[in-house]
Amino acid sequence: MRLPAMAKLQFTLFFVLFLTIQTLSASVDTISSDIKLKNVDRTVDISTQLVKVVSKIVLENSGKSSVKHFLFAVEEAAKNNLAFIGAKDSNSKDLRLAETTVKGYDYVKFWRVELKEPLNAGATVNVVVETVFTKALQPYPTAITQQEDQFVKYVGNLYTYSPYYTSTQKTSVILNTKTVESFTKVKPFSQVDGTIIYGPYANVGPFTEKELSIHYKNNSPFLTVTRVERLIEVSHWGNIAIEEVIEIEHTGAKLKGPFSRYDYQQDHHSGPASVRAYKTLLPASASDVYYRDTNGNISTSNMKVKKDSVELDLRPRYPLFGGWRTHYTLGYNVPSYEYLYHSGNEYLLKMRSIDHIFDDMQVDELVTKIILPEGSTGIKLNIPYSVTRLPDSLHFTYLDTKGRPVISFIKKNIVENHIQDFQIRYTFPRLLMLQEPLLVVGFLYTLFLCVIIYVRLDFSIHKSEHKD
Amino acid sequence: MPSTTETLPSNGRSKGLFQNTAGLSTLITVTVLTLAWLAGFASRLFAVIRFESIIHEFDPWFNYRSTAYMVQHGFYNFLNWFDERAWYPLGRIVGGTVYPGLMITSGTIHWILHALNIPIHIRDICVFLAPVFSGLTAIATYLLTSELWSRGAGLFAACFIAIVPGYSSRSVAGSYDNEGIAIFALQFTYYLWLKSVKSGSVFWSICTALSYFYMVSAWGGYVFIINLIPLHVFVLLIMGRFSQRLFVSYSVFYIIGLLLSMQIPFVGFQPIRTSEHMAASGVFALLMAIGALKYLHSLNPKGQWKQLLILGGMLAAGLVFLAVVLLTYMGVIAPWSGRFYSLWDTAYAKIHIPIIASVSEHQPTTWSSFFFDLHVLVCTFPVGLWYCIKNVNDERVFVALYALSAVYFAGVMVRLMLTLTPVVCVLAGIAFSILLDLALREDEVPEQSPDSEESKSLYDKAGKVKKRTLEAAPNADTGLGMNVRSGTLIAFMILLMLFSVHCTWATSNAYSSPSIVLASYGNDGSRKILDDFREAYGWLSQNTAEDARIMSWWDYGYQIAGMGNRTTLVDNNTWNNSHIALVGKAMASNESAAYSIMTMLDVDYVLVIFGGAIGYSGDDINKFIWMVRIAEGEHPKDIHEVDYFTERGEYRIDSEGSKTMLNCLMYKLSYYRYDSGGSPPGYDRTRSALPGNRGFKLTYLEEAYTTEHWLVRIYRVKKPSEFNRPRLSLAKRKISTSNTISKKTSRRRKGALKNKPTVVKGKKVGKLE
Repeated sequence: MRLPAMAKLQFTLFFVLFLTIQTLSASVDTISSDIKLKNVDRTVDISTQLVKVVSKIVLENSGKSSVKHFLFAVEEAAKNNLAFIGAKDSNSKDLRLAETTVKGYDYVKFWRVELKEPLNAGATVNVVVETVFTKALQPYPTAITQQEDQFVKYVGNLYTYSPYYTSTQKTSVILNTKTVESFTKVKPFSQVDGTIIYGPYANVGPFTEKELSIHYKNNSPFLTVTRVERLIEVSHWGNIAIEEVIEIEHTGAKLKGPFSRYDYQQDHHSGPASVRAYKTLLPASASDVYYRDTNGNISTSNMKVKKDSVELDLRPRYPLFGGWRTHYTLGYNVPSYEYLYHSGNEYLLKMRSIDHIFDDMQVDELVTKIILPEGSTGIKLNIPYSVTRLPDSLHFTYLDTKGRPVISFIKKNIVENHIQDFQIRYTFPRLLMLQEPLLVVGFLYTLFLCVIIYVRLDFSIHKSEHKD
Repeated sequence: MPSTTETLPSNGRSKGLFQNTAGLSTLITVTVLTLAWLAGFASRLFAVIRFESIIHEFDPWFNYRSTAYMVQHGFYNFLNWFDERAWYPLGRIVGGTVYPGLMITSGTIHWILHALNIPIHIRDICVFLAPVFSGLTAIATYLLTSELWSRGAGLFAACFIAIVPGYSSRSVAGSYDNEGIAIFALQFTYYLWLKSVKSGSVFWSICTALSYFYMVSAWGGYVFIINLIPLHVFVLLIMGRFSQRLFVSYSVFYIIGLLLSMQIPFVGFQPIRTSEHMAASGVFALLMAIGALKYLHSLNPKGQWKQLLILGGMLAAGLVFLAVVLLTYMGVIAPWSGRFYSLWDTAYAKIHIPIIASVSEHQPTTWSSFFFDLHVLVCTFPVGLWYCIKNVNDERVFVALYALSAVYFAGVMVRLMLTLTPVVCVLAGIAFSILLDLALREDEVPEQSPDSEESKSLYDKAGKVKKRTLEAAPNADTGLGMNVRSGTLIAFMILLMLFSVHCTWATSNAYSSPSIVLASYGNDGSRKILDDFREAYGWLSQNTAEDARIMSWWDYGYQIAGMGNRTTLVDNNTWNNSHIALVGKAMASNESAAYSIMTMLDVDYVLVIFGGAIGYSGDDINKFIWMVRIAEGEHPKDIHEVDYFTERGEYRIDSEGSKTMLNCLMYKLSYYRYDSGGSPPGYDRTRSALPGNRGFKLTYLEEAYTTEHWLVRIYRVKKPSEFNRPRLSLAKRKISTSNTISKKTSRRRKGALKNKPTVVKGKKVGKLE
């Protein structure tokens, strides 16, 4: 009778905890009028398929009391494309971020940035906020022929979008190309090499939006990983097997008209927007790498073992043009001592929830599954960013009796900045290591025993004609 | 291995294992068979080691696809499977047109392994099934041969069949085909048949029938069994070797085997309705008649029954024959099928069924391929045959018949080399065993022979074999000198060594190419893999619409379905000749005529194989003449084979080629914008010629994809709206504004269905929500 009571108590405790967490995360903030942005130096990198915005903010407290946090806002048009946000102080230490809302500004996405030390009245502090947007570049025209260059259109905000008053600001847009069809011209601006610099603009009020549109050549690979399924199988015998099932689509301008092998072969610059190959970086200790699809091994790949990584030069079976898709499975082994720590029966697995697929990758959906050894209990998962945890399941493989626990989670819209470690703590009685060898021994023993008994039995109805 | 377990309890109990020869010989038997299994398995792995674990060639892809389907959807759904991805627009009832034994075998293995939590992919099971079964074949051959002659001969035969190229050609890893398991079933059925004839026990006959059932489920070659066994019975009857044992074993086998074989949906009522199976029922009736006469004879042994018996027997045989002929004439029994008929008349297929003749493995066998596939065995097996006929008994009559018929069939068709190989191994095993016996015996006659005789009497249950060895002994001591003996021994050893070297070499070089992955070797010995087929099929599977229909020559149908997962028009199951002829006609016609055929067949893509850039000789241009022949067979008005040859009767593609040839679809699709290759641009390496028609444009098709080495070229068939639009003068052109469009599309246009999904209504609903 005691146990249910305990369980009930636990449940209530969890519920209360849950409630507090809920209320914390859905907190409502107000915009402090004390804070001003003294200077914002913004870099918008649109030379790849991603839009990477780095805002160097000089924050000023013009009020009387000290301020512990400030708000960072993302405008309505861009908020759905936001994949990653991170903030650092002047010593490039990570600052804590929490999503929040402000009454009256439901259409804006706010992030509350906690400062390391309270900002005293009249003082300033430097903060760097990095945001990465996916699918913010639209191919225009949407379909091109094999020989044409790919042009894309970037539509953004000319000013730094902020809930605060901004004194001065400058924006440099990195294109890495001189071929620009058109771009917004608001003085003062300048175009140097592959960069367009806007500003400095002075005294911009809060929530000011003005369209910044740039139409330019961008032949960098527009590859979207539509889905990755990452399977991590932990063995206590010293090996961790990783397998990634990857689906890729070229999401740039679609290929219009025929594909001509002759043109593609004749001229190496043919198909400028197509992707012939890309590089995947694996951990330095990766071994037994395989690269295959449902039809077998994809023979067009090379592997280079470098000092700090294993570099895979992956070439899909065919070059990827706009709208073309491919899929493959990439697998390798790593030794477990690099990722698995233990003291006694307590284990800690520390691994990347997603690894590098190609530079400037964008991933629509990631499913990570972690298979722990049979008999692991008390599993706790800890991930640096929010994910959707799927219900745990069981996985059966060699010599399993009751199945291995599988922890899985889903995360959407992922970029390189999400390559971070997750942590799993679990308990595994080390004696269970003996289970599998004993199973084999036991099976062989019974088999031989059966044979020995069978050989000594005589099933014949009548006696053999010639006795020995 | 029943024989080994049988011998153990009777002998192994009293003495230690190494003291008694029976135990030792069991150990040797088991060791040799295990090693034969391992050697056979290992020698079939060349393709896996050189390339990868992959299904080979054409038919295995279908088998693999249906196995995967069965594993995924279950057995009953597989039996009811209607494959709408094949033979568009007809489709194919797979469950009823396939020998399911292969799929069931690997499906069962898969099921067992997964029940034990061994997660092996079904592809790997399929790849390694044939090599594993080669070991079982070796054991079955051992059993068969030891039933016929001696265990020593059996071990020889098992070792031979484990590595002989004639069999490994069909059973390398990845060649997932019916033959891989059928040869095992064949050998095992024959072994059980001999066992039942010898013992006359119902148990062995039923085992024979069950094994026959497995064979029927696995391969169309079961017809060989159901004709050979009756032939054996018939010959035994003629030889006056009728016995109760024969009567029991054949009648039990025939009835149970008949009923079981009719359980396979693909076979159905054929065993009682077609000529191929009539020999079995005829012999059954004859056996019954003779059995009845014998019974009458036994009632009154004194009378003049002997002549009556012979007369009655002949009368019964005549009656049975007449009945069969009459039934065939009345149409109750189907006459010989064309495929079968071509076994008797080798020219038949060439004239009447070009589709059979177009397959290279249906060609008559050359002498060199006998030697290539069987090596020294082809020279030694007549020796074994001679000994079998010399010391004839019921079983050896069987093996003689087996050998003679198999030699005939192997001579007719390269493919049937496969049925010859097992019997050659059996007889060569016997020959080698006898020869070694002769060479080894004399030396040891004084001390060893009683000992060996004793040991033989211990484990050889059947009395007849013992007698044979006793008979052979006096023949042996005709006085071979010491030098002659050792010389013979060394010669044999060298022969056997050469044989195994040859087997490994042939398996490795001739039979271990997956044929969907090609490898070429550079001057420095580096290997380059040409993976064009999978490149193209991978492209198809990822970048075409889910229901896209691909037209290609039938050779590639199974691969497109298996690897590309797309709908095909014709495939390697060549059941519908007219459909194939239609595809052939499209390929052989000019572009516009082909276009009308292609729109009729709803073709979205056309796939051709073109080897000109890398010198691949098995491409579509080289097969093209067969397409023309098959098309001409069905459409003699439109296609004429003569048109595709030059006036001098040459088949060429350069500027001297015939005009029809240079303008047909196949030619155009092969050479469209082909300007790479050898030193003059556009040089065709396969045919060593510069294509005659170059720089042309395609009106009705456009290049969709061409693989890296130009091996596979895929074209998209344009929709009627994309080409040849009637040219309007500038004044007549209407530039439609958005206003007029909306009025027209919503009301007046007939093809309104296409516009329905984009109706704005849907959006409104979405907004309301």
